[in-house]
Amino acid sequence: MSEMKLFVSDGNPHCLKVLAVAELTGVKCDICHASDDERLVPFLSHPVRPVLLLPCGQHLFKANPICLYFLEVSGRDVCDLTSQWLEWEAAELQPALMQALYQCVLLGKMTEAANTLEGHLTYMEQRLSKGATPFLAAEEATVVDIVLWAALYPLLSNSSFLPDKLQCVARWFEQVNALPVCQTVAQRVQQQKSLESLKRFLQKQPLPPARCRNAPLCN
Amino acid sequence: NMALMELASLEKSLGFKKANKYSTQGNNKTPILQSNKGAPLIGLVTIASHLVQEAAQPELLGRTAEQRAVVRQWLEYRVTQLDGCPKEDIRSILKELNQYLEDKVYLAGSDFTLADILLYYGVHHIMADLSVQEKEQHMNLSRWFDHIQHYPGIRQHLPLVVVLRNRLYTGGHH
Repeated sequence: MSEMKLFVSDGNPHCLKVLAVAELTGVKCDICHASDDERLVPFLSHPVRPVLLLPCGQHLFKANPICLYFLEVSGRDVCDLTSQWLEWEAAELQPALMQALYQCVLLGKMTEAANTLEGHLTYMEQRLSKGATPFLAAEEATVVDIVLWAALYPLLSNSSFLPDKLQCVARWFEQVNALPVCQTVAQRVQQQKSLESLKRFLQKQPLPPARCRNAPLCN
Repeated sequence: NMALMELASLEKSLGFKKANKYSTQGNNKTPILQSNKGAPLIGLVTIASHLVQEAAQPELLGRTAEQRAVVRQWLEYRVTQLDGCPKEDIRSILKELNQYLEDKVYLAGSDFTLADILLYYGVHHIMADLSVQEKEQHMNLSRWFDHIQHYPGIRQHLPLVVVLRNRLYTGGHH
């Protein structure tokens, strides 16, 4: 297990995911900070982070599969509900989230960012209010909560971001945020001047979809 | 809806006698499987993985934790990078897949998995549009694609894409 290497970079919410899940599951791996421009995965056209170099020499280059790998290595199974939330996070939430981060962090338009995410956050609100459990998939926090916490952290850690009507999401975020694993990882990130590094991360991403790009850049 | 056709094909390849009923939600037309045993399942990857389990063929999800991670990664690649990929980015996806498959029979190495099935479904329309020369430029991808489309029971409703096994064009055009 000690042969595993996890490459992360500052300001990247996907790295926050894998660091927090490594903490949650107690899986040991060498954590290496690598410059964002260094290509670690030979077949990919663009450098990505995080990257997990497996003992067999294969690279994992997607955060959610890395999180689920940590979960399995720590002896837990991946159930349908976990898979469903992580698929939603990657396929549905991420495109909107990248646009919202772009609007909020690079353009300084918080209201627009909140509008961009409204549908997705409302979906979470409905799931939480109808669900029988305080967390997204169980009575206690699981990998699902950690992944979504990390993804939304740059926006929701600003308590004025969420509209008042999304009370369940607000309460959920507060609870997950207070977990020791999240605190530990968030503090580590804070020390690295999170906003500046998040800006650098966003500037290196492909531009969000045209409808956002075409929005006037001036206020 | 492409995802629903894929799920129907997958059910047939897995040997399901009776087809499940699906609906979709949202702008992306995300598939939903209404199960009689509880909450509905949402999302192509989640439903496909569930069907594989139900068909008692868990090896299609990978035999080890490492292999399962690689399978999940390519399933995520399929729904996040390949689906809805703008035209100008298709080249870079073909290039990545071609390079990745350089030394592999299947996406997860030497074992055929669900990742091969869903990626095959996902790139089918792209491969069908490539010229003979473009297919030759992506030789590893074409070889893998041809292998999967001939894999027993996988192609189902999809038309066969002609992949020449002997090179027509020579020279290092890349």
